[in-house]
Amino acid sequence: MTSPDPSRVIASLARDQVNLDLKTVDLCFLAGLYMRADKAALASFEEDVLVDMFEQVCDVVDPAAENPRKRATHAIQRLREQRMLARVDGAGLVRAGEYALTRLAAAVVEYFLADEALTRESLTLLTGTLRAQLAEILAAAKKVEGGEAWHTRVSGPLRVTVADLVSGIERRQRGLDAQQEEVQAEIATLLSVDWFSAVDRCQALLDTTTSTLRELNEILLRDTHHFVALLQEIQTLAAAASNADAEATVQRVIEHVDRIAAWGGARQRSWSEYYQYVHRYLRDVVRLDPDRALSQRLRDQLAGWPPRPFHLLVAHAPSIRLLRQLEARVERPPVTRPRADREANPEWVEAENLLADIEALVRQVLDQGAGTLAEVTSRVLPIVPEPVRYAATGRIADALARRAPVWSERERPWVPVLETLEVEDWAVDRGGGS
Amino acid sequence: MTDSTFHSLEAAIADEHFPEVDLVLRRGRHIGRDDGTAYDYLVDAQALLEGFYARFGCELVQRSDGYFYLLPAGDRLGRRQLSAGEMLVGQTLALLYLDPATLQHGGLIGREALLQRLSGLLGTDVLVRTLSPRKRKYDERIAAEMVRAQVGEALRRLADLGFVDILDEACLRLRPALLRFAEPVRGLADANLALERLVARGEVLLGEADGDEAGADDEEPGP
Repeated sequence: MTSPDPSRVIASLARDQVNLDLKTVDLCFLAGLYMRADKAALASFEEDVLVDMFEQVCDVVDPAAENPRKRATHAIQRLREQRMLARVDGAGLVRAGEYALTRLAAAVVEYFLADEALTRESLTLLTGTLRAQLAEILAAAKKVEGGEAWHTRVSGPLRVTVADLVSGIERRQRGLDAQQEEVQAEIATLLSVDWFSAVDRCQALLDTTTSTLRELNEILLRDTHHFVALLQEIQTLAAAASNADAEATVQRVIEHVDRIAAWGGARQRSWSEYYQYVHRYLRDVVRLDPDRALSQRLRDQLAGWPPRPFHLLVAHAPSIRLLRQLEARVERPPVTRPRADREANPEWVEAENLLADIEALVRQVLDQGAGTLAEVTSRVLPIVPEPVRYAATGRIADALARRAPVWSERERPWVPVLETLEVEDWAVDRGGGS
Repeated sequence: MTDSTFHSLEAAIADEHFPEVDLVLRRGRHIGRDDGTAYDYLVDAQALLEGFYARFGCELVQRSDGYFYLLPAGDRLGRRQLSAGEMLVGQTLALLYLDPATLQHGGLIGREALLQRLSGLLGTDVLVRTLSPRKRKYDERIAAEMVRAQVGEALRRLADLGFVDILDEACLRLRPALLRFAEPVRGLADANLALERLVARGEVLLGEADGDEAGADDEEPGP
């Protein structure tokens, strides 16, 4: 019996799109069936019985409903789809079906019907049965030999009988938790309604719950100690017999029992805090203000505070000032960096005058007989540094136009220059002279 | 005094609880039954410590609701008045403390319940104008944010003073010291007369809070 992985369980529930959608009439129908089965000791219901029961429920829940038989058919189908009712006859179409409430339906109805709070009687009965059961299992564990015998006489009873008994105690503990919440709500309601007149009833409720919890906790402390001792003995025997399965089963039951014991302590502590709080409230607030006038006066005070404010005074001694250590007073040196002569003397470099150079070069090339812009540019650019050649192209055209008359065709041809540039070409008019 | 464990002031001061109790009392904290052994110590040493604190110009006050606090009467120990935010939140918490509905959860309330009660009693406009008197116009969303922030700050300061325990972001535990906020209306006498008596005793100051919202300090040197 290994614990299923929660992630896988959740994933499988999500994959199957599990959901429950129960209306009031469905729940009442299930409750009616549950009680009828309980009263008449029925294991299953014939289809007619189901329909009759639904009609009775309909009369109470929705008397104006039309066609209850049709509604019964739909309700039975709905509950079967949600695994609340199961057909148990297996006859199919041959005859009308026979149905039983599923474990899920029984659990849902029990939640609403059962009043299973832990009481002194129920706890004593459960713990007594549990102790007898454990003693029996221990006796069996001392005698058994072989894996199969361990399984049927030790692990099996521990898983089923003991686990059920322990779960029964836990379920009733949850019932008592719910009862406590009801008591707390009841005390608040009693005071809201009756104020001073409710003091004695509140006190009685507090005292009853306190004594119940104390008694239960005493029983739990005594008996769980005994259970754990018996279980540990069984575990030792399982370990000696190298039966890992039985050993793990016992361990799970021990953890369960520990949880039950922890519940008692935790509830008694929290109830004790609540008890003290309510007790103080009854003494300091309710008894001192029997007419319940303080709340109203305080409300009036608060509403009238903004125009007529007042302020409570409280002590306000500053924290003790701790003087710094002597070394902490040392002045921190200013931020510095090594001294260095950061003023470098300028270097002599050759003067640059690209414009004048281009003018001179263009004149020189023209004098040598260049006849077009492309020719002039091709001969001047190689002399100019590469990064400025693109800009120099325009300067060359400008210098050429100023130094000699130029002419061009209507559609000026693009002529490549030095493989990377193209210019719209002009021709130098030698006839006009410069 | 005959029932006290301590036979002399020296013994009371030598007790292990004294340093912590003394420090928190001087910082304005209210020590109640919820504080366990610190409260028991004060009950035990009360007669001796009253004289001790009187020499500092303070009164060690014990209320029948089950808490102690230090009330500076002279000018030897610093004191401060609670801010408008702290006063509004404190009074609302006192009202919630008196409400039987709070009893159901053992004195635990949510911050939302506090804000709802506060805005229900005063109205958003009064609340915003009281907490931020300098603002003439305000945007509703920003004002709501400001109110939440100031209530949060007031709660933090009230928790330091022992009026309330902040359990987590959403949950508060109310303490009996909150009834100090209801002091002017606890008796059957006229509330104004009661307030005057409290002013004369040095418990409260009338009028607008000095300084900023954080609570004005009435700066006086410590001993």
